[in-house]
Amino acid sequence: MTSIASTRSRAHGSPETERFVPGQPDMWAFVLFEAFVFTAYFTVYVFSRARTPDVFRQSQMHLDLRVGVVNTLLLLTSSLFVARCVQAAREGSYRAATTNAFLTMLFGSVFLVSKVREWAMEIGQGFTFTTDEFFSFYYFLTAIHFIHLLIGFVALAVAVRQLTSPARRSQVIVETCATYWHTIDFLWVLIFALLYVMR
Amino acid sequence: MNSGFEKRPIVIWLALSAITILQLGIGSIDARAALAGKAAIAASVIGIALIKVRIIIREFMEVRHAPVLLGRLTDLWVVLTGAILLGGYLAGTAFPKG
Amino acid sequence: MNAPRPESAPPAPAGSFLRRIAWHWRHDEKCELWIGWWTLVVFYNLYGLLFFVITRTQPPPEPSLDPMEVVQWFGDRRHGLLYGYALVFIVGGATAIMNATLAYSIRRMSVSRAFAYSYLVIYALATLPGMLLMGVACTVGAMRPDRDPAVMSWLYDLAFLSFEGTMGVFLIGSLIWMAAVLLDENGVFPKWFGYLNLCNALTEVVVAPAWIFQSGAFAWDGSIAWWINMGVFVIYTTAFLTLLRRMILREDFGTGPLPELATDPAAGSAP
Repeated sequence: MTSIASTRSRAHGSPETERFVPGQPDMWAFVLFEAFVFTAYFTVYVFSRARTPDVFRQSQMHLDLRVGVVNTLLLLTSSLFVARCVQAAREGSYRAATTNAFLTMLFGSVFLVSKVREWAMEIGQGFTFTTDEFFSFYYFLTAIHFIHLLIGFVALAVAVRQLTSPARRSQVIVETCATYWHTIDFLWVLIFALLYVMR
Repeated sequence: MNSGFEKRPIVIWLALSAITILQLGIGSIDARAALAGKAAIAASVIGIALIKVRIIIREFMEVRHAPVLLGRLTDLWVVLTGAILLGGYLAGTAFPKG
Repeated sequence: MNAPRPESAPPAPAGSFLRRIAWHWRHDEKCELWIGWWTLVVFYNLYGLLFFVITRTQPPPEPSLDPMEVVQWFGDRRHGLLYGYALVFIVGGATAIMNATLAYSIRRMSVSRAFAYSYLVIYALATLPGMLLMGVACTVGAMRPDRDPAVMSWLYDLAFLSFEGTMGVFLIGSLIWMAAVLLDENGVFPKWFGYLNLCNALTEVVVAPAWIFQSGAFAWDGSIAWWINMGVFVIYTTAFLTLLRRMILREDFGTGPLPELATDPAAGSAP
């Protein structure tokens, strides 16, 4: 334990050797809770899929794996930027932090547009919420994730509001918002794997 | 400014992106293999995804530097999720429908 | 605030149950708050008993039953439905006290009073689709077992769709409470409860597909739309009951930050 902390302080050149919880512990409680709720949803999906694998596999073929990969890369990149935002804020570079927060929003927005276009294409091809079991899970999981992502934009807006005014700039709040954003990212990583990759 | 620390998120991002692109290949594998093969593929897909997730949690979310309890809780979730998902998959294959 | 301060009242007796209740009735300035809290606890337990055990309408039956099966369903539960819901209708007014207690917690926060009032209005309205409509539909169905099966089927759908599917009211209500908690500077509730409200609100969204599906995970009895949802709801309810109790213990009837609970056990007593 001490070796990790001191490595970090050596890497930083800073005297800080304390371990810290990034953002509010309350947000971490929420993250863990939501993670378990999603685990429950994923389990229902995996169980259903394993019961009628052929139906699911056939329907899955209508999803474009490449679009899934692009979407995943978009969110991973957005996570990179929000991580850099937190770092910059910690070092006091608030202009850089704000820029990074906006870049996070940018990549998040591109994901949103990409997802909506993907849905439109699939609906255009006749695959709707009620087409079959696979598609009901597909639309459900991606839609509930989409809603979480929209909330993520609210979180980022809160972070930007903190960063842009010297009177605020609470590191805790910025880190809390970043924690939420990363959660949306890792939930998508799982959704991508289960819906697109597992065939 | 310590360039060693600043590079780390980018390195992590590259690693995660590389794994994602590799998943293009895995997703295209013809899964009409024997049952054992299918379970192995399912397990590896879940496993790789959870490895990515754990990297995001420990690196991007900075749990590496958090109190040990948080690291243990998040690892617990990762392990439980893997076990429950795999269990759900196996249970589903044991009770096929129509 | 003309009620006597606890310091000037005789100390809470550690006597029999009735003696302690009498003391609280006479001297506890938080008496009404405790009545409100206990109403919540009793009501939720009663609710569970009535819906799960007596009327057996929860966990919900399948939407895919045909009219003859629906008639059978009503027949199997006839007396439970009639007596159980009669009781629900009698005590249903208690929701007013419950909602007032919850709204009180929002009033104690540093945020605008508009939050508390809108919460109160929404949850007052929510009782109709959230409980009463189903009660009416089920008792109407149970009252005359020889009704046309098509009509029984209609009542069945009305009962369960109104109960499981009208989640919009609760969604907005949860968001109001969430916003109030997160903006509050008096520390009435911990921030994690604000986030838990968000979870609860999102699970309401998850129920929406129940209007579309007659079977599977998203039907009104589905593993996702009902079971996981109910799990989250139970955790949420337990959390706010516990937090409300702590709030009442901490309450100082001021308008500033709510003091933390003193570790000294003599500092405050709860019935």
